[in-house]
Amino acid sequence: MKLIIKNLNKKFDKKVVLKDINFEFEKGKIYGLLGRNGAGKTTLFNCLNEDIEVDGGEFYIEDQKTRKVLPDDIGYVLSTPNVPEFLTGREFLKFFIEINKDKIKNEKTIDEYFDFMKIEKEDRDKLLKDYSHGMKNKMQMLVNFIASPNILLLDEPLTSFDVVVAEEMKQMLREIKKNHIIIFSTHIMELALDLCDEIVILNKGTLEEIDKNDIDNEHLKNKIIEALKEE
Amino acid sequence: MIKTFITSFKLKNTYRTNSIIYSIKQLPIIRKILPNSLYKNNGLKIFANIISILCEIIGIFIGKIIYIAAMIVSVLSLYNTNQADTFIHIFTFLTLCGGVLNTYMLNPTKDKYYAIILMNINAREYGLSNYYYQLLKLIIGFLPFTILFGMTTGIPIWIQIILSFFVVAVKLIVMNYSIYRFKKTKKASNENLPTKFVWGFVGVCLLLAYGLPAANIMINQTIFLFVFIISMILGIYSLIKIHIFKDYKKMYKQILTETNVYAVEKNSGTQAIKNVSLKQIELDENYVSNKSGFAYFHDLFVKRHKKILTEAVKKQSVVILVIFIILAIGININGEFKSKINNMLTVFLPYFVFIMYCLNRSSSVTQAMFMNCDHSMLTYRIYRTPKVILGIFKERLRTLIIINLLPASIIGFGLALMLYLSGGTDNTLNYAVLIASIIAMSIFFSVHYLVMYYLLQPYNVNTEMKSSTYKAVQGITYFVCWYMIQIQLPTLSFGIATICFCIAYSLISLFIAYKYAPKTFKLRI
Repeated sequence: MKLIIKNLNKKFDKKVVLKDINFEFEKGKIYGLLGRNGAGKTTLFNCLNEDIEVDGGEFYIEDQKTRKVLPDDIGYVLSTPNVPEFLTGREFLKFFIEINKDKIKNEKTIDEYFDFMKIEKEDRDKLLKDYSHGMKNKMQMLVNFIASPNILLLDEPLTSFDVVVAEEMKQMLREIKKNHIIIFSTHIMELALDLCDEIVILNKGTLEEIDKNDIDNEHLKNKIIEALKEE
Repeated sequence: MIKTFITSFKLKNTYRTNSIIYSIKQLPIIRKILPNSLYKNNGLKIFANIISILCEIIGIFIGKIIYIAAMIVSVLSLYNTNQADTFIHIFTFLTLCGGVLNTYMLNPTKDKYYAIILMNINAREYGLSNYYYQLLKLIIGFLPFTILFGMTTGIPIWIQIILSFFVVAVKLIVMNYSIYRFKKTKKASNENLPTKFVWGFVGVCLLLAYGLPAANIMINQTIFLFVFIISMILGIYSLIKIHIFKDYKKMYKQILTETNVYAVEKNSGTQAIKNVSLKQIELDENYVSNKSGFAYFHDLFVKRHKKILTEAVKKQSVVILVIFIILAIGININGEFKSKINNMLTVFLPYFVFIMYCLNRSSSVTQAMFMNCDHSMLTYRIYRTPKVILGIFKERLRTLIIINLLPASIIGFGLALMLYLSGGTDNTLNYAVLIASIIAMSIFFSVHYLVMYYLLQPYNVNTEMKSSTYKAVQGITYFVCWYMIQIQLPTLSFGIATICFCIAYSLISLFIAYKYAPKTFKLRI
């Protein structure tokens, strides 16, 4: 399965943010999306999640045949966690599982999901508004893991986690990547180099893949910084 | 101090000018034509500046005329008393209410927050100069209307003039008392969070303002003169105390917290507003919902927001019941009052459009729906599928109609009962029309706010309100309802027309919502 982007364009007033983007993302890989502040990483995600209209171009899934990206295909984890704060963690999972019932494969019990995400027993029945930033982020990741969409867009998802949880999350992403296309935006180059199979740079509105074959991490870092500095 | 005032005035004006340009930029169609560089455009800035200054000038007068007309002049005809004395009596007690509820100085507004907290402008100079400016506006704003309405009710010219100075004196006394309390307790009072004592004081004042004239007891001109002289002496003393007080910075630091400031600016929306909304969530650990899917999700939303949903409506209903009981007693003991109420009920139904508008909870409930629920859920694609959107819409519509129906039914049946007690009507259909039209109005507002919320979803991902169309719809709704106050039409014909309109509007708007909400109900980016 591939996510194919063709001639994608987006501008705000006169500012061109995405310029004729052409790219293919493949299943089984984690893509590290790097870009400077304001480069358009979130805009790209918003376009793919159809939160905003694109000005031109298209994107679609190519499996055995070509088809439109459907709502069930995409899971989007934002850098600021978004969870319904009037529910408890357990209630949120119950609701989410109920409305996705026919799509969830190998459904587990709610407590098994909590265990999987290492959410402590005493936190499971607390209101989400009383969860810490990192805990909310865990819940957001968890529901996306449960729904198991083909494409996972992760907008700086690990920055709010402590080092132990961040490691656990990285491990989880590595485990689930074989069935998904994971696009992971981050500012932390070490994280991208450590976790991602491919490094993609968004600069001046275009996507460019960095070839990391046959070079060590230090050279790769320099190469990425040079690419990001290019005016 | 003058320099600080000019700086603060410029700051406020810049903020208001940018808001005007921002509003223009949000207008449908126009927003597509206008570029972002609009804020730099000098011509437009001058235009927005002129509008801003005009707003400031109009703002001096508009509130005062509405206040005097709605709160005093409109009720004068209900009393068979000396009009001049009744005017002075009600004005005096309402001034006492206004004095404790609106001090200007202790109102945590955004412009104070920007200037004192964010820009570190001298708090004393800022607070005092703006306070004096507000008091001056008060005198200028009240004077023409105390003279105008004073002349029509036969109040002597010297009282017409001193009425506005009386208002200022009362405000000064209250402010001085607040400063005195701050000095003693080190706790500053936020005027938007009145204590139970303040509410009690306001309640007693209102009762005395409107109740005593019914028993033909009033503050006459001599007593008023005495009250005025005392308040002027205390007012001048307070002015001196307020002027020499130094710890404004300390006081404002307590009042101007983010939560206080953004609790006032309900429509502007930021993280602070979100925090205010989050406080409305209450966990009842004993409650377990046995519903599933959308119904489960919505059921928990309602249970967790009891404070703004069911409890608020219950409080409303109790107040309405008490008002009806007072009216029923009045009808029984006063023949003239009885015939006036009977007459009112046959022609004043349009007035209830405005009352039903004010009582309807849907506007604040949809805001809570966004802040505490849809803001997060709309980022999930699954939540934006037509099945989910319409499923939750149905649940919400049912709840909004039911909760608003409780006070509406009390009003509907209460009005019919008042009509009966006050002498009845030749046409018995009037009773049914009164009840049905009030209930229809309630359903109309519930449908209207929810449909508008789904069709125009006005908030963005940062919980800021970004839709000028939504604001315009809110403004038009308010204006139409307010306009209805001035209309007198036979209850029967107006009631039937209202019922038909409400049914037609609700059906059409629900049809439109079902068709378009799956496309329009999403986060603004």
